Parts: sequence; C-alpha cells; structure tokens
Amino acid sequence: MNFIVYIALRNLLRQKRRNILLGISIAFGMMILVLANSFSRGMSEIIFNKIIKYTSGHISVSFSQNGNLYRMIFKDGDRVFNIAKNKIPDISSLQEAIGIMARAIGNKGSDNVIMIGIDPYSYGTKKEEQEAAENFKIIDGNFFDLTNPNLENPVLISDSKARTLNVKLHDIISVRYQDINGQHQTCRLTVAGIFKPVNIFMSAPILLYTKNLKKIAGYGPHDIGGLYITLKTDPKKNAKKWTDSLYNAFKPKIAYAYGNLSYKQKSVSAIALGYKNDSLSKQILMDSIKILNILPPKKPFGKDGIAIGFLLQKELGIKVGDSCIFSYQPKYEDKNYCQKFYVTTLIEETKTSIDNSILINENLFYDFYYNHWPKSYDSLLVSLISFKQSKILNAFVKEWILLKRAKTTQELQKQIREIAKIKSRAITISVQSMYESASVVLGLEVALNLITFVAVMILFFIILIGVVNSLRMTIKERTREIGTIRAIGMQKNHVRNIFLLETFFLTLFSCICGIIMAFVVMTGLSLIKIDVQDNPLGMLLVNGHIKFVPTFYGIVFYTTVILLISVATAYFPSKKAARMSAASALRHYE
Amino acid sequence: MIIIKKYFFYILLFTSITFSSQITIKEVLEKIEAIHKLPQDITANVTLIQQKASQGIRKFEVLYYRRDSDDSYLIVMLYPESEKGNGYLRVGDNFWMYRKNTRTFQHINRDENIAGSNAKAQDFERRPITELYEGIKDSTGKELITEEKLGQIPVYKLEIKAKVTNIDYPIKKLWVRKDNYLILKEESYSSSKTLMQTSYFLKYTTVKDKFIPVDQLYIDEFEKGNKTQVKITGISFEKLDDKIFTKAYLENLSK
Repeated sequence: MNFIVYIALRNLLRQKRRNILLGISIAFGMMILVLANSFSRGMSEIIFNKIIKYTSGHISVSFSQNGNLYRMIFKDGDRVFNIAKNKIPDISSLQEAIGIMARAIGNKGSDNVIMIGIDPYSYGTKKEEQEAAENFKIIDGNFFDLTNPNLENPVLISDSKARTLNVKLHDIISVRYQDINGQHQTCRLTVAGIFKPVNIFMSAPILLYTKNLKKIAGYGPHDIGGLYITLKTDPKKNAKKWTDSLYNAFKPKIAYAYGNLSYKQKSVSAIALGYKNDSLSKQILMDSIKILNILPPKKPFGKDGIAIGFLLQKELGIKVGDSCIFSYQPKYEDKNYCQKFYVTTLIEETKTSIDNSILINENLFYDFYYNHWPKSYDSLLVSLISFKQSKILNAFVKEWILLKRAKTTQELQKQIREIAKIKSRAITISVQSMYESASVVLGLEVALNLITFVAVMILFFIILIGVVNSLRMTIKERTREIGTIRAIGMQKNHVRNIFLLETFFLTLFSCICGIIMAFVVMTGLSLIKIDVQDNPLGMLLVNGHIKFVPTFYGIVFYTTVILLISVATAYFPSKKAARMSAASALRHYE
Repeated sequence: MIIIKKYFFYILLFTSITFSSQITIKEVLEKIEAIHKLPQDITANVTLIQQKASQGIRKFEVLYYRRDSDDSYLIVMLYPESEKGNGYLRVGDNFWMYRKNTRTFQHINRDENIAGSNAKAQDFERRPITELYEGIKDSTGKELITEEKLGQIPVYKLEIKAKVTNIDYPIKKLWVRKDNYLILKEESYSSSKTLMQTSYFLKYTTVKDKFIPVDQLYIDEFEKGNKTQVKITGISFEKLDDKIFTKAYLENLSK
C-alpha cells in the first residue's frame, strides 16, 4: 500500500501548474466555506447570547388581560417568580418585561419613545452584570445610576435620542404615557446616563429601573407585566425542555375565593366560583343544576347572575332579590375584601361543594378575583377536585387561560385575538421558548445559513467540474503509463487507488491551505471597525466588529464532506482508467 | 380619534336646563347625568381639525350614527382620502373594525386602542358620569366646588376624581354654567396633578330643545402648540333604521 501512496504523492508533483491551479480553487472554496460557517456561527451566537437574551429571554412568559395584547398584567407576580424558580434550576436571570410607549419632551425638543424596564442587578453573577452593562456603551454618566435613589426616575438614553430631545446628563425629561389602566399620566425622568446604541433598534428606547417603571405605570408591588428568563447552560439545547416544564407548571386550576357570606346578622363559610359565559357552559349548568327560584326577568346563569348554593340558602334564609356580602382574605392585603351581591337565583341541593358555593358570572367574578387576588386554600381545592369527574367542572372558570404553545409570534397574536372574540375577562398566559417568541430573529439566522449554504454549494459544483476535467486530462495523458504498469503486474484496484489517492491528497492539502487562509482572512476582517449605527444589520456586530466563531467540529465536518465529494467524483474516471487493458493502453498514441 | 370620543361624550352630555341654588358636586354630576342620555337616535357629521407643532394641520371628517337603546354605533371615515370608507361598528358586546382596502372586518376588543390612537372601543360606550367620577374633598372634608365667573358668565367650578380605573384622566376640573349646567371649560389632570389638556366648549346649538356643543377646542397642555378643533354639522335625531347597524351597511357605504 505504501508504494501506492508514494506514487500518488509523486504524481501530484508531476503536473505542478495544473494541480496548483486546481488546489487554489479547492482552497478558495474551503476558505469561503469556513468563513461562511464561522460567520453564521458568530451571528447565531450574537442572536442567542446578545439579542434574544436581552430582548425576550431564552424563555418568556407573557400575560394579557381582556384579550388586549397591550394590557400586560398579572396580579400574582410572586407566584410566577416562584413557579419559574422551582421549575427551572438552570436560571441565569429573571427579568420583568415591561415596555410603555410615551411622548417625551426635553429642552425644546420632543419625540416618541418607548420606556423599557431593566434591572441591572437581576443577573446571576457579577460578570453577567458587567456584561449587561457593557452592552450599553455609556459615554456620559453611569449605567448603575439607573437605580440611584437620589435621582428622580433615573433613565438611560441613547446619544441620538438625547440630541433629539436636546438633553444632557442630569437634565429632566417630561413624558406623557398611558398607564396600565389606560389613564393618561405624566412624570419627570432624570437623565442618569447617555449611551451609544450598538444598533438602530437601541436608539429608540429609554431605559428605566424596572421598579420605577412599574410604579409610574400603575403596577402594584405584586403585579407583573411579563417575564424573561435566561438560562445558564446551553440555551439552544435546553430552552425547549425548560419551556415545556414551565408550561406544565402554569396549567390553571379552578378559580375560587374562600370566605364568608353574610346576610343580615348571619354569616357562613362559602366558596365563590365563577361560571363561564359561553352557551355550552350555560347548558352544562342547566343540565346539572336545578333552579329553585329565579328573580324575574332574569335568565338562569345570565351575565349578571348570582346563584346561591342550597346549604347557604338554608343557613342564611336568603331569598332572590336580597343583597348579601361575600368577604374573603386577599393574598396581598391585610384586611378582608368585601363584595356586595344581589341574589338572582337559588339552586337545589346537589350534594357537592356547590351547595356551599356562590356561583357568579365570570365577568363579575374576575372583576374582584383579579383586583383582590384571594388567598389559596389547598385543602379546599381537594374538595373541589372531588367532583372533578363531573362534567360541571368544565362550566367554571379557571385562574387564567393558558394559551397553547404558539409556533411563532404571529400565531400567538392570533390566539389572543381569538380570546378577544369570546370576550373573556380572564388573563391569558403564554409560555414560549426563544424559538417561538423570537421566531422572526431566528428566521434571519436560518435565511442567512441557507443563503451561505447555497452559495457555497454552487462554488463547489464549479470546482468539482474542474476536478473531473483535470482528472480526465491526467488519465488521458497517462494512458500509456497505465498500460506499462499494468503490463508489469500492477493490479486494477491499485491503478484506481493511485488516482483516488492523488485526488484525496490534492483535496486534503488544498483544504488545509484553505483553512489557514480562512483564519488569516477572519483575523483581518475582525480587526476592521464598522460604523453602522443607523443600519439594522448593526445588531449583528460586536462593538462594531464582525464576529467569527470557527468550530473544530465544523471544520472537520466540511473537510470530510469535501474529501468525500472529491473522491466520489474521481472514482468513476479512476475506475475507467483501471479497467483499460494493458495492450490497448500501450498502443495508445496521441 | 381621542378627540372624536370627547366630542361624542359631550354630544350626549348637554341636553336640558335645570336650576339650583345650593348644590353639591354629586348633584351637579347627577344633573349632567340626567341630561346625558339621549332619548333619540342621533346622526351627525363631525369635522376635526388637528394642529400639531411637528406635523402641521390635518383634517378628519366622520359620519356618526348612534342608538343608545341597544348600545350601537357606527363611525364611517369620510376624510382624508386614505381613510375614506374605513369604519367601526359596535352592536351590543361586539365591536368590529372595517378596512376598505381588504374588505375585512376585524373583531376588536373593547379595551383595545382604535386605529393606533389613544381612543378605545370602551370610550365610545355610554358611561354615566356619576359612575365614573366623584367630587374631591379638601382636608376639612369640604367639597371642592366654588361659584365664580368665567369671563362674564357665572359658573360652578368643581373638582372631580375618578371612581374607576379604566378612564382617560383621573382628575378633572369643570366649569359648569350656573343657569343651565352646560360645561364651558374642562381641565384634565394626570394622577400627579399635572395639567394635561384644557377643553373649551365654544358654541352650543339647540336641536329639538337639546343642547349640542357644535364648536369645541381641545388644547394639549403637555406639548405646547398642539390643539384640535371639533365642529359638528348635520345633526339629526331622526329614528335610525336597524339596517344601519349592520356589517353589510358599512360595507356598502364604503363601496
């Protein structure tokens, strides 16, 4: 075998010019392939670790009320944080996601802005905090002044926005915006830092400490607008797994409030349950529960209906048309919350928890349920679940509506629009991994990879035509030589292997040269500073430089692929050469 | 669009005259409330001239049909040309946006902003002022209502605050004529008591014994130089046909 390798290597030097030209072509192709792959990997890393990490997190949980995409609020934020922390041990940071459109006025300058909340101290480690700070290249002021209590609503603002508003460090900006309730509000912001935006998208927002933004936007201390979760290890691999786990943890239970129902001087323990508005649920209720008495002209389980369970009627002596007070202990309030109801319906005994319940239309129910989130009683939930098998459970509202896992951002918006159609006042929760929430950004990566792949394949197709052509010429030139070595006893497969090895070595050496060239070019391109502040593609740069991430496995893979393609291409001409009869090859004359 | 909703609110607001000497804020609001509900259907042409310091002057014209008996209304854009034919239809709990270009109706939420503006579907609902606002009291428990003159006209000046959260402005000051309870001026404040907007009701007309503010001026106090004038013409209290509050009618009207 060694002598075949020796002959193959020696043959490489025989047609130097032809082999050098072909080698250069292959090396150039390999260089482009390594460059394109490294650029694509670099871009992918920027998308995942810089863009998605800071814009939507690796996993996001979003909330919306009344089917309104812009009314992002959930009243039991502590529970959301606990669920996230318990279900995902691999959390790097938890960021509340709040953004509010506003009109800003500076010193004789005005512009539209979006106020975004960030928490500089929510990152897991000091290194990550520093990395987040470096993401905003502060040119005046201090990134961490964002939380300075001595400044009135400190903000970070881009240099271009500062120019438009004509403000400098510690100047005041007035903003007009709509709070979470839709009320027009205004407040004063103090410029705590001016940063140079890394791309055009970073020019528009002004950044506030999340706690301050929540306060001015009308969020309560336990409210949450949305949640971005970043993972510690391999988000590309783990994001989906943890999202599934989180999604399951957000499956809602039956919504209820446990408290006391008072009528005149009497008071008894009662459970408040909300029934759904849709006709199917009403039919289920009508089929399952018999009405004892109803206040004319009300219809059973109508939009303003309050139905009282049998045992409650019996103990309180309440009748239709009477008013009663339901009080319960809210989770985040010291005092009991009281809600007055007018009884419209009395229901017959069911021998279930419903006998101790007040059934309230979902619109009325959610009004107090969300504004005064009730304390949960797990043991009570067990008794409610005791009639889980019963179809009637489907007629009662749950704590929230968990949206199906949308595949894209557009699909999520469509789902919320569907919720708007059914006019439910329930909060909708959507749990998404970055693959769904940032589908547009990720689509960019796929598109660029595809373009690169197609371009490189076209290039290699051209190169391979060169390989085939070159090999045919070589075989034709060496026909008499083939006849000679076959005449002195060389086997057919040895002849074939000589040509295959010759192609193999030519490709291998060319690939090595191509890889070296690629590294030289990458180093050179990485040193060039590109100023693209006004270009959206600027987001794909790191500090104004192109980022290349060559990978060992990627290079080995592409080298192997090219070697296989070259050898496969050379196989048939080599086989043809090996099949020549020695006599006819010796007779060959040009 | 925010001005459109203001306008319609005041169309509903001023319709009768009553007198009183000793009066509380609640009573004033109740009197406004009493004249708030229109007994008849209404049709009107509304023109808005919007002046923004940064954008110059823009004009909008809409045709408005309203029927309170079943909470229905229809708004059809007439001007500018780019918006002509687009519309909004509300029937009971359903609220649709119609786009002429695509000839599609989109179901929108009552809590949702309309056409990218600050106006929401729920702003077009008939909402009793007494359910939305109540009088503000000072530290001694005295209501902030005084008698004064606005120019030469004797008025009650009252300060009210929101009872509910889902309204535009949490605090307002109203200057209400003593003789007929027409609002002449209104100042709207944010929660931080910053003056956001001043509204003037410059001219009223009477149609079938109802007062309608046909000329209104809204001045943006936050961003100086922005103001909007609202003019109303073609007011009619004729009963409206049921077919008007249908998708087909809006679609045909837009053709």
